[in-house]
Amino acid sequence: MELHNYRITAFCTIRGRSIRVNGKEFLGADPSTPLGDFLKLAYRKLAIDYPKFHKMDGLCKAIFIATELIARESGRYKHHTALIFANRSSSYISDARHAHDIFRADNPVASPATFVYTLPNIAMGEISIRHQLQSENVFFIFDRYLPEFLVPYANATLDNQQADASALCGWTEITEGQCDLLLYHIGTSGSQTHSIEYLKRLYNEEDE
Amino acid sequence: MKHDVYIIGDEAISPLGIGSELNFQRLRNNDRAIVPIMDTHLCDHTIYAARIDEGYWSHLINDAPHYTRLERLFILALQRLINRHDIPVDGETLVILSTTKGNVSLLGDPRAAFPEQRARIPAMAAAIGRYFGFENQPIPISNACISGSLAISVARRLLRYGGKYKRAVVVGGDELSKFIVSGFDAFQALADGPCRPFDRDRKGLNLGEAVAGVYLSTVPVAGAVKISGVGSSNDANHISGPSRTGEGLYLSIREAMDEAGDVALDFISAHGTATVYNDEMEAIAFQRCGLSAVPAHSLKGYFGHTLGASGLLETVMAIHSLKNSELVPSAGFAHQGTSQPVNIITQPTQRPLNAFLKTASGFGGCNIATIFQNV
Repeated sequence: MELHNYRITAFCTIRGRSIRVNGKEFLGADPSTPLGDFLKLAYRKLAIDYPKFHKMDGLCKAIFIATELIARESGRYKHHTALIFANRSSSYISDARHAHDIFRADNPVASPATFVYTLPNIAMGEISIRHQLQSENVFFIFDRYLPEFLVPYANATLDNQQADASALCGWTEITEGQCDLLLYHIGTSGSQTHSIEYLKRLYNEEDE
Repeated sequence: MKHDVYIIGDEAISPLGIGSELNFQRLRNNDRAIVPIMDTHLCDHTIYAARIDEGYWSHLINDAPHYTRLERLFILALQRLINRHDIPVDGETLVILSTTKGNVSLLGDPRAAFPEQRARIPAMAAAIGRYFGFENQPIPISNACISGSLAISVARRLLRYGGKYKRAVVVGGDELSKFIVSGFDAFQALADGPCRPFDRDRKGLNLGEAVAGVYLSTVPVAGAVKISGVGSSNDANHISGPSRTGEGLYLSIREAMDEAGDVALDFISAHGTATVYNDEMEAIAFQRCGLSAVPAHSLKGYFGHTLGASGLLETVMAIHSLKNSELVPSAGFAHQGTSQPVNIITQPTQRPLNAFLKTASGFGGCNIATIFQNV
């Protein structure tokens, strides 16, 4: 068994209508707030000017916001920061919209602006543009949060990097009805070890 | 400790037939799967696409009615790989599935024979896992058009650095659906005839469907092919268009070549979708890597763009090129049509082959390059 000494440098959760960074609340909204309105509130609170945000679907917006907040804690991302994401519903928000567009009885027509978001890895493309990450991306689809897979895979990815290990990883389940996101940056400094046990605890603690 | 990882088995199911040897033989015969299709369940006008015939294969698996069409294709490919190589379904076998859209054809379609829940990729993976009784639940990857090549890389990394897995089966598949056809059509990405990768007169892509897979091991056997280098980089430039400078693909190829060391590449199996921008981007990336003179093909002119299967299908065919010492021509090519020249293969050529480069690029700005060589 090899010893990995990678560290969680910062993390962000989006649960229901609450966004927390390193455990501290960044934004809370009434649970009845529609997803789009909630994400727009978060964008405003970031106080940045990035018009592309408004074109994104809910999955991309949520990942964009979490990625922005983590960078404020852990520092600017290195260009080689690997992206390792997973969720259950893939790009369901846009999939459902595109399916509705093409099967509706009156004037069925596909929209390129919707179709482009019918891939989950588009979110990784969006944050790669924003943070200039020329790195490897992988999007896994699991039926549940699975640190038992993600942690060993992230360790292998970090071992494969030549130096300055850096990865942004996590669970990004975002649909109209459910927000369950835990994103974290892994590097070589920080007080918490990147381990299955810690990431289970983090996911469950933040759920309370 | 790092282990070398080898491909020791492969499988392909396409409109050209069942089995990788048969598919390769069909390429040698210059058989092409792309035909005009007028089917209002896919599109309200004729499209050129490659579709797997119904019926001639469903009886080959048990309980076929319990599985969607795409699941049945995955099961058939896996069954053939497992039977041929006696692959254990125990905890040491990693199973990775690559797909861009899985059972998405069920979504929103009033004709669908399965509940919409089955359109979720984990439901498909669970159904396939149950069929074989894999101890490890199959791991799906959905990463646009690089999914197939990426799945090989992910499996390799887990075998290379991990202690848990001794072997991996990696299978990718996608099928034609109104969902996918309407989207590419809305993008005006579909050619109005057979596609022409890298040609001057290319006008877009043809969609296709296939399921293809490889069997990976850390133990080489006779005829094994080593995965000797992988690189993957995002363009960080645009979500739906390739980089004008080929930056992400250039970085990917460089990374793969650095890892592979001093390997002379005998040919390139390009992504070559036959869209104006993709092929131009690839030509620039190859030129920047000093690979303009290396013989290259795209197999999209035979199979169409098979999305999540493409990286796997085209890798499997390239492995058969190595085994048969034969370069396969790039169907649909007649005239140089990129700002940087690419040495497109136009005639079947017998010569000793040792190593090849496979590239893929996709929406979201993702790129991957993998180098394979004889052991």
